[in-house]
Amino acid sequence: MFVSDCRREFYDVIVNQRVLLLVASDVDALCACKILQALFQCDHVPYTLVPVSGWQELETAFLEHKDQFKYFVLINCGANVDLLEILQPEEDAFFFVCDSHRPINVVNVYNDTQIKLLVKQDDDLDVPAYDDIFRDEEDEEEDSENESDGSEPSEKRRRFEEDVIERTMKRRQRREWEARRREILFDYEQYEYHGTSSAMVMFDLAWIMSKDLNDMLCLTFQSQLQVNVALLVLHAPAAPNCILCSTEMQYRRATEEVLVLEFCYYFLRLALYQHWSLYESLCNTSYTSASLKLWSVQGQKRLQEFLADMGLPLKQVKQKFNSMDMSLKENLREMIEESANKFGMKDLRVQTFSIHFGFKNKFSASDIVYATVSLMENVEKEGPETTNFIKALDSLSRGNLDKLHQGLDLAKKQLRAIQQTVASCICTNLVISQGPFLYCSLMEGTPDVKLFSKPVSLCLLSKYLLKSFVCSTKNKRCKLLPLIMAAPMDVEQGTVIMVGIPPETESSDKKNFFGRAFEKAADSTNSRTLHNHFDMSIIELKAEDRSKFLDALISLLS
Amino acid sequence: ERLRMFKNKGKDPTALRRQRVEVIVELRKAKKEEQILKRRNVERNEMEGNLSTGEGERHEMIQLSLEEIVQGVNGSDAELQLQATQATRRLLSRRKDPPINEIIELGIIPRLVEFLTYADNAPLQFEAAWALTNIAAGTSDHTKAVVEGGALPAFISLLSSPHMHVSEQSVWALGNIAGDGPLYRDAVIYCNAIPPLLALVSPATPVWFLRNITWTLSNLCRHKNPCPPLDAVQKMLPVLICLLEHEDKEIISDSCWATSFLTDGSNDRIQVVVDTGILPRLVELMASPELIILTPALRTVGNVVTGTNEQTQAAIDAGVLAVLPHLLQHAKPTIQKEAAWILGNIAAGPCWQIQQLITCGLLPPLVELLDKGNFNAQKEAVWAVANFTTGGTVEQMVELVQSGVLKPLLNLLLAKDSKTILVILDTISNLFLAAEKLGEAERLSLLVEKLDGLEKLEALQIHDNRVVCQVALNILEKYFPGE
Repeated sequence: MFVSDCRREFYDVIVNQRVLLLVASDVDALCACKILQALFQCDHVPYTLVPVSGWQELETAFLEHKDQFKYFVLINCGANVDLLEILQPEEDAFFFVCDSHRPINVVNVYNDTQIKLLVKQDDDLDVPAYDDIFRDEEDEEEDSENESDGSEPSEKRRRFEEDVIERTMKRRQRREWEARRREILFDYEQYEYHGTSSAMVMFDLAWIMSKDLNDMLCLTFQSQLQVNVALLVLHAPAAPNCILCSTEMQYRRATEEVLVLEFCYYFLRLALYQHWSLYESLCNTSYTSASLKLWSVQGQKRLQEFLADMGLPLKQVKQKFNSMDMSLKENLREMIEESANKFGMKDLRVQTFSIHFGFKNKFSASDIVYATVSLMENVEKEGPETTNFIKALDSLSRGNLDKLHQGLDLAKKQLRAIQQTVASCICTNLVISQGPFLYCSLMEGTPDVKLFSKPVSLCLLSKYLLKSFVCSTKNKRCKLLPLIMAAPMDVEQGTVIMVGIPPETESSDKKNFFGRAFEKAADSTNSRTLHNHFDMSIIELKAEDRSKFLDALISLLS
Repeated sequence: ERLRMFKNKGKDPTALRRQRVEVIVELRKAKKEEQILKRRNVERNEMEGNLSTGEGERHEMIQLSLEEIVQGVNGSDAELQLQATQATRRLLSRRKDPPINEIIELGIIPRLVEFLTYADNAPLQFEAAWALTNIAAGTSDHTKAVVEGGALPAFISLLSSPHMHVSEQSVWALGNIAGDGPLYRDAVIYCNAIPPLLALVSPATPVWFLRNITWTLSNLCRHKNPCPPLDAVQKMLPVLICLLEHEDKEIISDSCWATSFLTDGSNDRIQVVVDTGILPRLVELMASPELIILTPALRTVGNVVTGTNEQTQAAIDAGVLAVLPHLLQHAKPTIQKEAAWILGNIAAGPCWQIQQLITCGLLPPLVELLDKGNFNAQKEAVWAVANFTTGGTVEQMVELVQSGVLKPLLNLLLAKDSKTILVILDTISNLFLAAEKLGEAERLSLLVEKLDGLEKLEALQIHDNRVVCQVALNILEKYFPGE
């Protein structure tokens, strides 16, 4: 069921309990988790945090801890499958699910005892009506209903004419109802998408709570909060709310001496440029790279022309942004925007948050997102599986600037790798039209291929690649197609990771139908797939089964 | 000698074993049937709206007047016979006010019975059988009209019809006739219906058919004064035992009801059922989540423990004490009540059976039921405690008091029902007698006082019922002298 009063029905319930926090590995989940941890710290709520990267880990974590806990908080996982079905919990276990995955499983929506959904209901949920998808047992057993109370059987019985008709009518009605149910559920479950970010939901909760906190707590708490709020902007639907928050925040920031949160109405859509050189950033940002077609010789030439048009000396552009001439930096935005318009890049300006720690450290929300993702999916092994998660979580704390900087370095590496891979895929025509979708597969041995064995990184690559492909191709039909991308995952086990992303169109609402399609294709071909990721459109697949799986997918979607 | 006086106390132990109060059941049944009727009417109205599509051919059937029916049935044209019989059947199978009397008055029953013998016209046999089934489903007079029309032998020979729907309809008709009462039940039996009926039961018989056969068999086991002939019962029992193993819950339910009818009688009839060794299966069915199975299983075992000590022991050996705690806490009050009834009858047995109650942990759920159960179930639990204190040893009584029985028992003195109050007062007297033997009467008085029992006893001195006043006064004078 949906929780309408997050504080009363969620926080007040768990505040005196031991809580198991199960947190998915994505930036939104980390931020939500960070906010909740801050609340827990204030109220001394004992909790255990377990990062979970997929369904398998979620199940294992639950099995390991179910005896010690009755209250489970799931962040960015659990909403889109029948939780009780997969976890088989005892009746006294309660699940608070804060998850942006849509559609929400209908059983979760209509369970009023064990499943509590922390979800903004103003989202466009369109959950089917209860009566359309559930039928009470009694209705099904109407034939014997008159005896079900256990009274003695009647001594005499008349045979009614309607008996036969009635039975067939009932059966027919039932069949019709079931067909309708299938249709409704199909429509409802067909597309996968994301609702309001979980961090936003937690922020709202924290905001309500903070009004009652005393000054001392308020200080520590707010500073924590502000870092997180900056990250929310990545999730586009939440942006208007963020703006509201920011105005309120203006009043409060006086209490905090070193940290300043700023809402920038005018920010350059250039990845990491404040921590890089302008040149590197232009080359490795998907928007500029795709618009200028940097993978070609002409593209490189266009970049030079673009820089010349701005009147920025190459030497200045190539050195660290921090060391750039102040006079140039002052008018930078205007200069860039003017030239960008001439080169067809009209959307170089974005709105975002940035935060300043003192003088030196200034981060935009997107900087932090890049850094956090890179830390989370770092492929250099540095200890157990959870190390990356903990590091990424730590990087969100203000006290851990070194971790954040480490993340920024990794992010730069990753952006370069993405850029190079995109260039080579386009130059060697690796993106193939399969009819209903585009397909690109990275071969074992491709440079940096290991980076893309991780889901978020592979998704990032796919989005960049699709954007670039759409700019490079002249085929109009291809511009409207979605993309499936595969990369080697585990060489020893012979598995590949595969993601499907929706088409790169202006108006699209970014709903993704690949989740269901993958499921069906796997079923019909008996392909050995694993739907382990919380996003259904990301799967693992045995490399040998790939071709029959793709064939099935093509015929399914044609 | 005192001990013997106490144990017998002038009561016949078999009198303690009470039969169930049939009236209540009957009332409940009547009310239920009313509800079913209402519900069916509603359904029918809905149906009429929906039937227009797909089932059109039914509406095209010709409506015949009563005279046309008489003409058709009595005529020699096979086509018209079928049409008229079908029209009759349709009139009789409508839900609202079937014109049974009118049809009987047409005098066509003998003719319909004759149609039953037209072996080369199965459709006509079927329509006639259905019409007669529905007439027999009416009052006793209606059933009588069918039997006196000579239908019994005709239906019995149709049991062996090669057409399954004809033979099923005959099973149904015979069920209605047997269900009328002991007289027609035995008439069916004496016409030798049982062998061909039992022959219809085979692994290949479809479930819907088997349900009808089971129900008819249960009617052949039904009714007392007199109970069905012993040899008939012995023929049916092995088949009923097979049917109890079926997976269909309605079949289990009806065969279970059959055993409950068979055990609702004298001890030698109970013995016939016990001898089949069916008790363990019945105890197993008592644990069923299905009310339609649980209820008759509970009833049968309940009947068995009204029997001799040996019969009661057979039920105990079959494991009844293991399922009772759960049933005493059943969500349905009627189940709690019947479970307490069983418990009470076991407690009315010798002290070694009472000991088995204690050993199997039945005192806590009994006390719980006494405390929190539905009032009808509480009354039954009071009886169980009373029987316990009548037949139990002093040690067993101590055990009973230690399980906390006094508090809820004394609370029930506030009940409105004098009969229950008297049983409780008897129980309290029994407990005091036992306490005296241990020299603990004073301690028991203190305990009763502590549990606010004294003021309740005092209040009873001004009860409307004189016997209650007197008994309460006796206890007060004897055990609370200082007050």
